[in-house]
Amino acid sequence: MMPSVNRILLTAVVVGTTGCQFFGSVDRDVVQKGYRGTAMEVNYVSRDQNAAMAAMAAKMPAILPPAGESPPGPLPWQNVQVLNDISVAEFNRTMIAMATWVAGGAGNCSYCHNLASFAADTYPDGKAIYTKAVARRMIQMTRNINSEWTEHVGNTGVTCYTCHVGKPLPNGLWFYTDENQILRHYLDGAGARVTSKTIAPSAANRSSVKQTEWTYALMISQSNSLGVNCTFCHNSRQFASWDQAPPQRVTAYAGIQMLRDVNTNYLAPLAPVYHPSRLGPKGDAPKAQCSTCHNGVYKPLYGFQMAKHYPAIWGTHTDWVTPFPPAYTTPPAPIVMDTVAAAADSAGMAATPAGVATPAVTVPPPPAGPPVRTP
Amino acid sequence: MAMLSFEKKYRVRGGTLLGGDLFDFWFGPFYVGFFGVTTIFCTLLGTLLIIYGAAIGPTWNLWQINIAPPDLKYGLGLAPLAEGGLWQMITFCAVGAFLSWALRQAEISRKLGMGMHIPWAYGMAVFAYITLVVIRPVLLGAWGHGFPYGIFSHLDWVSNVGYQYLHFHYNPAHMIAITFFFTTTLALAMHGSLILSVTNPKKGEPVKTSEHENVFFRDFLGYSIGAIGIHRLGLFLALNAGLWSAICIVISGPFWTKGWPEWWGWWLNLPIWR
Repeated sequence: MMPSVNRILLTAVVVGTTGCQFFGSVDRDVVQKGYRGTAMEVNYVSRDQNAAMAAMAAKMPAILPPAGESPPGPLPWQNVQVLNDISVAEFNRTMIAMATWVAGGAGNCSYCHNLASFAADTYPDGKAIYTKAVARRMIQMTRNINSEWTEHVGNTGVTCYTCHVGKPLPNGLWFYTDENQILRHYLDGAGARVTSKTIAPSAANRSSVKQTEWTYALMISQSNSLGVNCTFCHNSRQFASWDQAPPQRVTAYAGIQMLRDVNTNYLAPLAPVYHPSRLGPKGDAPKAQCSTCHNGVYKPLYGFQMAKHYPAIWGTHTDWVTPFPPAYTTPPAPIVMDTVAAAADSAGMAATPAGVATPAVTVPPPPAGPPVRTP
Repeated sequence: MAMLSFEKKYRVRGGTLLGGDLFDFWFGPFYVGFFGVTTIFCTLLGTLLIIYGAAIGPTWNLWQINIAPPDLKYGLGLAPLAEGGLWQMITFCAVGAFLSWALRQAEISRKLGMGMHIPWAYGMAVFAYITLVVIRPVLLGAWGHGFPYGIFSHLDWVSNVGYQYLHFHYNPAHMIAITFFFTTTLALAMHGSLILSVTNPKKGEPVKTSEHENVFFRDFLGYSIGAIGIHRLGLFLALNAGLWSAICIVISGPFWTKGWPEWWGWWLNLPIWR
């Protein structure tokens, strides 16, 4: 008697749970990334994706109508240090768009401008408008990304909105702290790879568990940033192999290089420009990571091509010289930080990869002028 | 061929589930039965199809022969032979052969007048296989979710499925399954060493009895589960290993699409330390 009751119960549970899941599974959306049978797949719940896309679309500002005719002649304004290679009408259109993208509304010019004098770099009380100085640099950065990093951004490009999504501070900004040291790969440039080629640790092979954990943490931060899993970019039978990897891995690798360019040449050097309240606990400027643009989506804004509607943020002209305003405080002494590998070395077992010199990286003091990236 | 002592009990008429007396005969020492016929048919056909698949594939290297399931785009439909259709036919043959074998075990159990422990136990392994190649693919909506038939290729599949969910060791059912597998091997090792010890005494000493077995484990662990008990425990552990394996893979995808580490958010969010 009892065994048969148990059997019936077990059957009911199995059939019941699988049956319920069957109807739930209609929402499962699996994208094949590799040869059939390799299980290189990305898993989505279409219900969740549709909701996220709808929420994003509802929030996204409409594309502004194309700029009309410009009056003839040179730009009628003073102190235009960037974007001085576009027409007056396009310039105005771009300013309105930027107010919406970054400052929360089309009318919020005062986020970056002295309304009494739009040309001024200072408020009526004489204090520097740091947002304006930062915005100039960000415009250069955007053009640099759109022209020099097509390996990563393709012909979709980026706009201010890609990262800012209507807010002054983009998501996913990071500072130097003890908790997020893995993100220093996006600035220091130390390689994150851990590929042990001998069985036992030795003087020549100092790969450690600690290093591996850091690489894993960095990879998971990318996975979270893009809402994808490991097999989006890797065939896990051999993570290091480029031959077996999906093409997305090449795009992602270019993205890492791009982030280093952005952080090293644009974001980190802005530290003395920001109001001190914008700086991190160690006095460093906010920096970007994958999630800053991607916001949990494998293509920012689900691949929506916003940038192509705004000619001002395209173009190879990125080398405007824009002197920074005087710093709020005396620039701090250079922060001397261990490289990632060296930090792993001190934290765990010997971890210095063979043949890789690991001098302490000195975050340079802010340069007098903005560093110019020479392609 | 000489008869084993229990074969008299085994070689009796009746107990068949299908086919009545028609297939109720022996081939040499082997009982045939209706399900013996279907087992042989499915096994032969499936094996030949695998060999055919290897023949039209790129290699005869035993490690690398690979019969892969269809692309996901074919969904739950039939795929062309060389693009996963073979995998579908081989899967059909395998399920047919495994189920036939379990039913043949049931018929033999009936002939012997014993319980259905053996077909149910074997059936658990079959259930785990069917979960992998039928139940989960059907729940996810494509045969392409089954695992490929090949020595290396199925390992690659396992690895990539694990990484689809970022870290499979965080799958709670996987944890339970692994624990049962390891406990099964531990119990088998303890039981096997005990039996080998009592049946291989020193020269001149008699074979020991279950009293010795009990005394040893009472000394060693403070408790002896007993001669029948250890077999019940072994069955329980082994069946649960298979059951939780099936559960851990069937919930990955149909139930949970994100990384398994993330599933443990409920633990981090418990109100007592949140």
